[in-house]
Amino acid sequence: MQPRRVEIRFPGTHEGFAQAFDELRQALDREALDAAARYDCELIFEEIVDNIVSHGAVGDRAPDVHVTLEHGGDSIVLTFDDDGVLFDPRGLPDPVPAKSLQEAKIGGFGLMLVRHAASSLDYVRTSEGRNRLTVKVRRRPGPGGTSVSPQPP
Amino acid sequence: MQMQLGDAGEGILNVLLVGRLDTPGVDSIETPLTAHLVPRGARAIVDLSQVAFLGSGGIRMFITIARALGRKGGKLVLYGAQPLVAEVLQTTSLNDIVPIRADATAAAAVARG
Repeated sequence: MQPRRVEIRFPGTHEGFAQAFDELRQALDREALDAAARYDCELIFEEIVDNIVSHGAVGDRAPDVHVTLEHGGDSIVLTFDDDGVLFDPRGLPDPVPAKSLQEAKIGGFGLMLVRHAASSLDYVRTSEGRNRLTVKVRRRPGPGGTSVSPQPP
Repeated sequence: MQMQLGDAGEGILNVLLVGRLDTPGVDSIETPLTAHLVPRGARAIVDLSQVAFLGSGGIRMFITIARALGRKGGKLVLYGAQPLVAEVLQTTSLNDIVPIRADATAAAAVARG
């Protein structure tokens, strides 16, 4: 299978995010992905770009964001390149599971979900001063990916 | 993102959510959902069967509403999630702090307490 590559460039604003997400979903429509892989691609995009939009601005300037989707055979790779505030997510811990609802924190779940949906996550700060996060989407066996039932607390 | 309210009997509110709980979806539904549930301290069961996507914004929203309801003597129970949405609930361990059940009957039983 010939690898396919889709590039999306947009300002790191809520409007840019919404338009880019539409473009990504249209691109994913053209790929023969199972439901789980499709969901994982959208989840990774949602969480990474939301973080760039929410925390990446340098002063009043929204980051320039460049996302690349590469799909070839069993491999799907998403690369997020932005000129926002330096952000290396690799060393950040996942939230500690809360013992009660009152103690529960409401942040940190985005990166946790990205790690779960990815088979690898690599980061470099480029010589041009840009964040470059490369996420390889995990592939799961089965026609629709895994089936997980809710567990009672 | 759309929301439909119904009566699940015995004072329990059934909330059907339809659409995607991504960032725009949460932005559109969080305020009206909170306004319908929290001031009255509702005991509510939330039908996720027509939620096609759930991200961390939706997890944050459910924790915030469930916590506010708990302070008012109410209760939030989720049910009916599709497998990929259920996987997000499980990955974030939301099921440790917010009850999640397979169907409306089981969810209503928890909401009744």
